[in-house]
Parts: sequence; structure tokens; C-alpha cells
Amino acid sequence: MKLVRPLLTLFLFASFWLPLQPVHAARPEPNTPIRHFIVLMQENHTFDNYFGTYPGADGIPPDTCMPVDPTDPASECVEPFHIGNLPIEDLDHSVVTFRRQFNGGRMNGFIWALRLRNHDGRIAMGYYDGRDLPYYWNLASEYVLFDRFFSSAHGGSVWNHMYWIAAVPGTEKNSIPAEGFSNDIVTIFDRLNEAGLTWKFYIQNYDPSITYRTRTEVVGPRAAQVVWCPLLAIPRYLDNPELFRHIVPLDEYFTDLQNGTLPNVAYIVPSGASEHPPGSIQAGQRFVRSLIQALMRSPYWWNSAFLVTYDDWGGWYDHVPPPQVDEYGYGFRVPAFLVSPYAKRGFIDSTIYDFTSILKFIEENWGLEPLAERDARATSIRNAFDFTQPPRQPAFIPWDWPPPPPTPEPRRSAVFGLYGLTVALALLTFLIPARRIHFLRRSLSSRRSRPSTPTHRGEGKR
Amino acid sequence: MSGLHSLRGTSLPSQPQSPASRHLGSARLTRRHPTPTSSSVLDRYGPSVLFAIALLAGTLLRLWQLNRFGVNSDEAVYLGQAAALAHEPTLSRLFPLFRAHPLLFPFFVALALPFTGREALDLAGRLLAVGFGLATIVVTMAIGRLLFGRWVGATAALFLALMPYHVTVSRQALLDGPMAFWVTLTLLALVRFAATQRTSWLVASAVALGLGVLTKETAVIFFGAIVTTFALHPELSGRPRPLLVALGAFIATVTVHPLATFLAGGSGTERTSQYLVWQLFRRPNHEWWFYAWTIPPALGLAVVALAVLGIILVWKVWSWRETLLVAWIVVPFTFFQVWPTKGFPYLVATTPAIALLAARTLGRLFALGSARSGSVLPTRSNWRRGIALVTVIAVAGSLAVPSIAQLRAVTNGTFLAGSGGVPGGREAGEWVRTHTPEGTKLLTIGPSMANIIQFYGHRKAYGLSVSPNPLHRNPTYEPVVNPDLWLRNGEIQYVVWDAYSAARSPFFAEKLLTYARRYHGRVVHTELVRTVDTQGRPTDLPVIVIYEVRP
Repeated sequence: MKLVRPLLTLFLFASFWLPLQPVHAARPEPNTPIRHFIVLMQENHTFDNYFGTYPGADGIPPDTCMPVDPTDPASECVEPFHIGNLPIEDLDHSVVTFRRQFNGGRMNGFIWALRLRNHDGRIAMGYYDGRDLPYYWNLASEYVLFDRFFSSAHGGSVWNHMYWIAAVPGTEKNSIPAEGFSNDIVTIFDRLNEAGLTWKFYIQNYDPSITYRTRTEVVGPRAAQVVWCPLLAIPRYLDNPELFRHIVPLDEYFTDLQNGTLPNVAYIVPSGASEHPPGSIQAGQRFVRSLIQALMRSPYWWNSAFLVTYDDWGGWYDHVPPPQVDEYGYGFRVPAFLVSPYAKRGFIDSTIYDFTSILKFIEENWGLEPLAERDARATSIRNAFDFTQPPRQPAFIPWDWPPPPPTPEPRRSAVFGLYGLTVALALLTFLIPARRIHFLRRSLSSRRSRPSTPTHRGEGKR
Repeated sequence: MSGLHSLRGTSLPSQPQSPASRHLGSARLTRRHPTPTSSSVLDRYGPSVLFAIALLAGTLLRLWQLNRFGVNSDEAVYLGQAAALAHEPTLSRLFPLFRAHPLLFPFFVALALPFTGREALDLAGRLLAVGFGLATIVVTMAIGRLLFGRWVGATAALFLALMPYHVTVSRQALLDGPMAFWVTLTLLALVRFAATQRTSWLVASAVALGLGVLTKETAVIFFGAIVTTFALHPELSGRPRPLLVALGAFIATVTVHPLATFLAGGSGTERTSQYLVWQLFRRPNHEWWFYAWTIPPALGLAVVALAVLGIILVWKVWSWRETLLVAWIVVPFTFFQVWPTKGFPYLVATTPAIALLAARTLGRLFALGSARSGSVLPTRSNWRRGIALVTVIAVAGSLAVPSIAQLRAVTNGTFLAGSGGVPGGREAGEWVRTHTPEGTKLLTIGPSMANIIQFYGHRKAYGLSVSPNPLHRNPTYEPVVNPDLWLRNGEIQYVVWDAYSAARSPFFAEKLLTYARRYHGRVVHTELVRTVDTQGRPTDLPVIVIYEVRP
């Protein structure tokens, strides 16, 4: 009975004090060493356009010749060609153009579809190679290149960006609804919030005042930030400051790396460096390099993965017919590569992926529920990692492609031989006058002491 | 019968007397003026003890905290060449094998590299330089003993062992210390030739000079000193045939480097001729009074004074010995005075001759060694010899104090090339190696810090001050033609400011900081050196600051 009063006091204290303490939801531990996943969405290129001639990848078949008009059996055809410094344009990449280019899986309408949209469609058969994309090609040779990574939808940016964050197209038309996307759409960021995981959406040249509500008033291309970051078209993300504060300028990516505040999941979209034709692909590479270099210089490198991909095909030729999993997709293949200390070295991953594979990886890594049917059925990009290996040291990727030939090595043996011989002879030169070589002296003196004229047996007898 | 014996007057009567040995006169004087004196303990053991002290003190001064500071730019280059010669994979990517100078010193270091490893390369190079420095002391002793007797030889060795200039240079993995050894060995062989007139000594002298040239090509200047001496004393040169043989030996020796360069092939060999052009036409790096201002204090003012005093006061006994020693100093000094490029260690090969002249003065004035049987000099009274000893001790002290002070000195953020290691350089380089990704490129104010960063950091570094004009830069260095573009493109990820380069090139230092500010520069590492401020209070001076930059 003596213990009843203290126990009761303790119980009362605990019942008042404990509820006052802030609740820290235990963050789920990742199922892999990847604690930070960063994904960058560039724009408008196909796999064949960027890596069609990359050694070992499923690139442009050697006998490719695209008919100008697939409906005419006598039509001339255009072979793939190196673009180099040829001028390019923003090719049409609408749903209609996709269907014509896809042509029921025959994949022979790439020029024709564009000609019907008043383009000189031959440019679609152009490709870049390592001379134009040295950084990307070097990245691919060092880390993981995906050659079966399809865009999620037939259309352009809007659907594909929505699949990227929510595994759904968001709208039946490939455009942002005037009233914004439905608040009912669940995004990966909702899942992260629920799990107590951190996230940010970094936007290059971000202007917080440009949203789906104001984009029509904005003159120029900056309104496109609403397309690149679909969260700016979902009302609840704008109206809830707790959600809105996660959408930040890209500069914060660098300061987060420096200050140790990089979130678990980071989405990045470019502005001027998106590689969207006719934009500079070199500028895009430099932009990507700055992001990856910053990661490599930070302590986050050791438990991070950085994935670069492209939102749609941009009207360019690709030779692999995309599997049609539903009425929206897949679209054509897009370039994608993964950089991580756990990425397989120089690996070409031919597993079929789309943007929802990114969601799948995030969900699997942190034990989150799927968002929709697409990501539930998607294959995670986990195959690109090798978690049995120790993390690789960061290494800045060179810009030269092909790598400069090794400078001819000097024949070091010539230097060693000649200098060694000289030192040895010099030593002898000093030992001789110093009379240190007794054996030599004895040898010389004994030679001198011999009779100068040879004696023959016969002479002695005489 | 060695030349040494002939100088001491124990040569066989049947051996022909050389003209030079008549001038040396040691054998003649001893026989003509026998002055049998009681050989005291001091005279018997004194020179040996003095020489032992010289070696001990010289060793201590050269080894004390030898590797406390990391290598300077020139050391980094020579050790990098050694690593390239040994085909060390990391450093051979950053340092070309063939640069301005021949490869004898890197050759020796490269032989040691498999045993020391890359991590101890700086220590190995410096230990080798110390070895050459101590060997120079020994050779100086031998020359002094031959020319003026044991006391003078030991005294010269002591002066050289304690001399701040020689101590400083022979503690660094530079070419000048080893070159000084070969040149001093040349002098020794030449003295022996003069005494014996044996062609083999002349050939040995030529080969030693050739090795000097294979260490650093400027050793060829001493050929001029030899020619000068022979011209002023024709009795030394003798018949032309030995001279031609020696000349052939010299040419054959020095030809080894161009031959090795030709046979080795590979990258970098095409630059060999560019170095000569660059050295000939580069702008002076110091004022014309640099040597007059810098070198005498480093030699020791007392030593310089003694050497000059001896030349003036005892000019009556001037012979080829004095001519040779003076030529050994004046010819290189004149050359480097005229040559646009002036470096602190360039004249170190003259230090044995200066030490010998200074010791000779004491020997002459105070009859050091006079009591010894066979000595050149007449006997003097004990009090004069006492004064001589006191003078030796005083001069030695005047050398030892600045030498020690120099080793203990802390930096004030400035640095004279060739005067020692660079505080903070090794640490900054090691930070770069352990904290930056492979493939990192850095921008420094000048090529000196770039060399140090490359040596310790194993990353490519460029000097901002390297001129894009090929006529105005060392052919080895790559200029950054458009640093702004490189930084904007992310080609360069770090910039390194250092107080030493900033003191020499304030313009490029400010330019570098401008880039740091423009490209989001963030200080990621600072090397501090504890020093004292103007009021004598200890303070931490930032000497190297590394900025992370991004477009």
C-alpha cells in the first residue's frame, strides 16, 4: 500500500506531461542505403536521338531508312544522320503526331507526321553522339544508362510530368486545366509527408507568383514552370503554406547540400537549361554537371542517387515501339541515366521502365503505398543498383569524348639505362686515379711485367 | 702514389714534379725549411675533432625538423619528375618527365621511390639532398686539406656545415645542392690534377663537372671558371692532349641527357628546346641587386669578410689556388648577375670556395696548422693560434645562430622561392586529396601553389598568372585562356588563394578573389600558421584559403 501513492503521482504526472511533448513521427528507414533520391526532368529528346550510336546500347539499327511518306511504297527514305551543328527546331510532339509516328507500331511515320505539321520532318532522323554529348556519354560509361526507359504518356509535357509525380495523367487533355488539377490527385509528396519524410521541388529561376491561376497573364516562356512543376497547378499545394513551402528555387539545392538540409526526395526541373529544342544541349549538360558535381562534393554523395531523364520524345525518331499499357502510354523511349555510389559501373539497363518506375523505387525504398495502378504495376529501377558493393568514391566526369588518346609514354628504361651507366662510369673514373681498384692495378702491373717479346719453346732451347 | 701524398712532400723522387706542385710548394717548403716542432695534441687531433664537429653540426642542422613543412614549388616539380620517371601512376599524370633540367637528381630519387613509397617521397628527396650536402662538406674538407692543410680544411668544412645558405639549400629537394656537390668534386679532382698532372684526374674532374651539368645545366658555368684559371696559369694546363681527352669526357657525359631524351621519346621531349628560348627571353624575376642583397647575409657576413680580407691581406702568396677559388666564385656570380633569371639557391655551388677562402685567411693570419710537420706555413706563437681558435668559434657561432634561427622562423605570409618549405602547403594539398572528388580541377594564383597542390593533392591545378602568350610562360605550364568561361562551365570547381603568391602577384590574387565572389565562392578550408603580429602577440595567419565555386 505504501507504493500506491507514489505510483499514482507518477501516473498523474505522466498523463499530463507526456501529451504536452511534441510528437515526432518516426521516419521510416530506407530499405536500401539510398537515403536521398534526386530526380531531374529535362525535356524533349529520344533515346536514339541522344544515345542511338552509344556502344552496346539498343541504338539505331544499321539499316534504318525512314520513308518520307509511309503511305507511298515508292517514297524516298532518310537515313539517320549526325546533327552536329545543324540548326534544329522545336518539333511537334502532340498526341496526334505521336500516333502518326507510331503508326500502329510500324514506327515509320516520323518524317511524315512532322511534314503534316508543316515541319521539314527529315531533321527527326538526326542524332547526337559523344562529340555533342560528351558529359552524358561519359556519365553513361561510368554509371548506368537505361535503354528501355519510356515516357509514360503519348503526349507532351503535361501528362508526363503528372505521371512523374502522381502516376496519373491528371487530365484527359494534355494541358493544364483552367481550374487546376483536382485536389483529389494523390502525389508522391503526399505519401512522403504522411511518412514523415522530407522533400522539396527545386525549380530553376523559380517565380512563386506564377501558378496555374496566373500563368495566362505571364508573357513569355516562364509560364511553363507550371507545366514543369505540376504542383503549381494543384490548388491545395498553393493554398496550404505547409505544402507550398516545399516548392523552392534551385539555389536552395546547393545550399541544402552545403548546410546538410537535403531532403529525402528532391525533384528538380530546369528553366533555361532544359535542352528543349532548339535550346542548347551543351548548356543542358553543363547544368546537369553543376548539379551532379555539387552532390559529389557534398557528404550526401555516399547515400544518394541522382536520376536524369526527359519528359517526352520531342518529335525525334526512336526505333523501339513503346509497349501500350493503357490508353495513355507508354510514349517513345527517352534518355535516362542514374548516378550513384551504388550504381552499377558502366551498366546498360534494358529493363522496361517509365516515369512511374521512379515512384516505384521511392515507394519501395521507404515502404510507401502506391499512388495509382501505373506505379503499382511499374518496375522499380532497383536493378540499376548494386548494394552489395561498397559505395564508390565520387569522381568528376570528364568532358572529352572520345577520351583523348593517351600521351605516348616515354621509354623510361632509356633514361634509367643511360643515367645509370654514366654514374657507374663516373665512379670508375674517380676510382682509377684514386687507385681504389686494386685488382685492376694488379692486373695492369702483372701485364706490364710480362716479357715484351713472346718466347717460344724452340727459342729457349736455342 | 696519390696526389695527396705528393702535396705533403712524400712523393717519390723518381716522380716528375708538376709545375703546379712547385707552386703549391708544400713538399719543397717542408724540405727546405724543416721546422721540427713538438706536435701538440691539439695539432694532432684538433683538425679531426673540428671536422667531426662540423659533420655532426652539419648533420643536425640539416636533419632537424627536415620534413616539418611541405615541399615548395620547385621541390614538387623535381620530386614529381622522379615519380614520373619511376612511373608512379598518380603523379606521373600530373608531372611530365621531361622539363627544363636534366634528370640526374630525379634519377636518384626514382631509385629510392620503390622503397619509400609516394607518401614519403618528399622526405626521401630531402634526405637525398641532405646526403649531397654532407658529402659536399666532406669534399670541401678534402680540398682544404690538400690546398692549405688539415686545419684549414676542417675550418672550411665547419664554416660550410654551419653556413645558413648551404644549410637552407641542402635541406631542400632541389637540384642546386646536388649540383654543388658535383661541382665541388670537380674542384677536388682539379686540385689533384694540378698537384699530380695526371690526366686521369683531369678526366675525373671533367666527368664530375659533366655529372654536375646532368644535375642542373647551369653547372656548365664552372667550365668557364676552369678555363679562366687555366688561362691565367698556363703551367696548370700542360699539354693539349690531356685537355682534349678531358673535354671529350665532359662532352660525352653531358650528351647523356639529350641522348636519353631522344631515345626515351614520348610526350614532353619536344619542349626541351622551348625551355632554352623561354629562359633566354623571359623577364627578370628579381631586381639586379638581388644577389648582392640576399646572398652575403646567407653566406654569413663574417665568412664573406674573412674571404675578402684574406684576398687583400695575403695577396703576396697568391697562386693558382687562389685564382681557382676566386674564379669558382666570380664566374658564376657574374653569369647570374647578367642572366635575367635569378634564384636564391643558384649560387650555392660557390659556397665551398667561399668557405675555403675564409678558412685560408684564418690559416694565413693565425697560422692554423703551422705547427704540423709538413705544413705550408711558418710557425706562429701560441697566442696567435689561440686567437685563431677563438675567431673560428666566433665565426662558427655567427653562422650557427642565424642558421638555427632560420630553421625556427615562422612565416609572415611571404615566401622566397628556394628558401625552404611552404607552411601549410602539404596540409592544404592533403585536404584537397581527401575532400575533393577524383577529377577535380583547381585554380590557384600562380603556378607555384599549383605545383604544390598537384604534388600533395593529386588533382590538376592551374595557375591564373600563367600567361597565354607562349613567350611569357614556362613551356610546361598550361594557361587558363578564359578562366571566367572555365568557371562558368564548371570546368574548375575550387579556387585556392595563398598569401605567398598574393604577396608576389597582388593583381592576380585580387582577380582570383573576384572569381571566387562571382561564382558563389564558399570557404571550405583554411590553412592557418601561428605567427606573431607587429606587436609581438601570437596570431593565426591564414596562408592558404580554398574556395568551392560553382556556376
